[in-house]
Amino acid sequence: MAKHAKIAQQFARQLFKLSLADGAVSADRVAGVLAFVEKHRPPNPVMVLRVYQRLVATELAKSQAVVEHSGAVDDAMLATIAAAMSRRYGRTVTAAARPNAALLAGLRVHVGDDIYESSVAGQLAALASSV
Amino acid sequence: MSTVLEQIEQQIASLSSKVVKKNTGNIRTVADGVAKIDGLSDVMYNEMVQFPGGAIGIALNLEEDEVGCVILGDIAQLKEGDEVTTTGKLLSVPVGKALLGRTVDALGNPVDGKGPIDTKEFYPVEKIAPGIVARKSVSQPLFTGIMAIDSMIPIGRGQRELIIGDRGTGKTTITIDTIINQAKINKVGLASGDKNFRPVYSIYVAVGQKNSNIVRTLSALEAAGALEFTVIVAAPAADNPANQYIAPYSGAAIGEWFMENGMDALIVYDDLSKHAVAYRQISLILKRPSGREAYPGDVFYLHSRLLERAARLEGKGSLTALPIIETLAGDVSAYIPTNVISITDGQIFLETDLFNQGIRPAVSVGLSVSRVGSAAQIKATKQVGGKLKGELAQFRELAAFAQFGSDLDAKTKAQLDRGGRIVELFKQPAFAPQPIELQVSVLFAMQKGFFDPIELRKVVDAATSLKGFFTTRKDALLTEIRTKAALDKDLEDKLLAACEEWKSSYSA
Repeated sequence: MAKHAKIAQQFARQLFKLSLADGAVSADRVAGVLAFVEKHRPPNPVMVLRVYQRLVATELAKSQAVVEHSGAVDDAMLATIAAAMSRRYGRTVTAAARPNAALLAGLRVHVGDDIYESSVAGQLAALASSV
Repeated sequence: MSTVLEQIEQQIASLSSKVVKKNTGNIRTVADGVAKIDGLSDVMYNEMVQFPGGAIGIALNLEEDEVGCVILGDIAQLKEGDEVTTTGKLLSVPVGKALLGRTVDALGNPVDGKGPIDTKEFYPVEKIAPGIVARKSVSQPLFTGIMAIDSMIPIGRGQRELIIGDRGTGKTTITIDTIINQAKINKVGLASGDKNFRPVYSIYVAVGQKNSNIVRTLSALEAAGALEFTVIVAAPAADNPANQYIAPYSGAAIGEWFMENGMDALIVYDDLSKHAVAYRQISLILKRPSGREAYPGDVFYLHSRLLERAARLEGKGSLTALPIIETLAGDVSAYIPTNVISITDGQIFLETDLFNQGIRPAVSVGLSVSRVGSAAQIKATKQVGGKLKGELAQFRELAAFAQFGSDLDAKTKAQLDRGGRIVELFKQPAFAPQPIELQVSVLFAMQKGFFDPIELRKVVDAATSLKGFFTTRKDALLTEIRTKAALDKDLEDKLLAACEEWKSSYSA
């Protein structure tokens, strides 16, 4: 890895750490960080911001359960999923629905890089790989 | 009827409500058999990960926000953004007797076109070597069938003996000879019906070799009838470095199965120089810090953890390792050679000069050593070959001095003559290992001076004649030497009489 890329990554990580308040990404702090970068223009600002964006997105994804579904999902179910995920991960996790007809039936929940597969399409894929 | 339907209904309910948790990531970059992956926060070191299209990878670099994986299999279909999933398993290969006679790749998949391998058992590729308590000292011989080695640098079951030398000095030939000899001994032993007989199964691991060389080895083993006791693990030069890196560990896993199940196995790593080069390539792509000769800092551990898996276990079997290292211009003090020399229990050094002089196998007696020593020799070999190494060392020293002077005293001349004859006797054609009882007989004849009156250039012919005489006419005597494994007065007298008989017929 080129030296400047390494420096940019390290700087982006420092900015990311400054963006956390009580272990979660704070909108105010992110705004502060962006203002700082705008004002002081670190070397290689595009790369710094790209890495920073990836780190923030990864962290935000840990606090949001994306519920892919085929069929109806009501608010009560989303609330139940959000509560279950919050208990499991020990932090507040919100739930957002995303329809996906390719699942055929059932649910698939994404939290960060974890996937909870309970769809017919997932079971068929598992069956296909085991045969 | 209704109960049955209820059971089916319950089964459907349990299946449909089953939630499977997967930990995933996405490929950020993929190049030269190595992928950098975002995510995979739950992945463990050395864990197998699943790529799309059936390719699998091993997580080798766990970094703060990415994971570095080596990819085993076809990488042509992979692209940036593809989803990767953890499996929670360590890489395992199929093991068992069903692999004998087969050629497999680094993952244990057959590549010989003989159909699928019928085995249910799997062994992890990476495994911690047996500890001190589980081990037993090396005391049972493993005959290579090469007289120079069996008489002076004996190898025992469970030993790690390095074979080192420049390119084209006969390193692979020695290991093939050894595998063929195990097959020959196995056939005799199994045919004898001896319940205490322990066959030795062989594993030949080809790392970074040309496919043509692997085929040649395969053909040699097949022609000698040794393939039925051998497993070949092939990671040729055309394979990606990840496969070449993993192949010796796969071979070790296959060998460990024999050892753990009370059997004896022999494993040949051909060769670890190319293995180190493959690992260097992977490490550099993974951006690991490089050290001497651009090898990563853990290149010693790469080989030590592999070779430590060779052992003789208390109450179980053994795994003997014959790693091969290729030197450049005979330089044994290079980085990888010194590493492996220090790990193994001795080395057989092959010299280019000896090879070019026609002394084959080109074993350099001075630089070769077996740290197990005579503990791995039968008594008969010790009786006839105990002084050989000293005699040859004296011969080399005197031969160097004799070049400068023509007037030599009778004793010196006799020592030179004897040394010259020993060197001639140790010449042996490739793929023709000699049984230990035949080696003992030839060495006995040499010690008793039966080759002394023979002209030096005719010693090889005389030895061939003597071997033929013993094989065709003294089979009972050879069997007696093999079973007794020691020369008592009676056996010595019989050997002497047989040698006299040969001498009269040879002279005539």
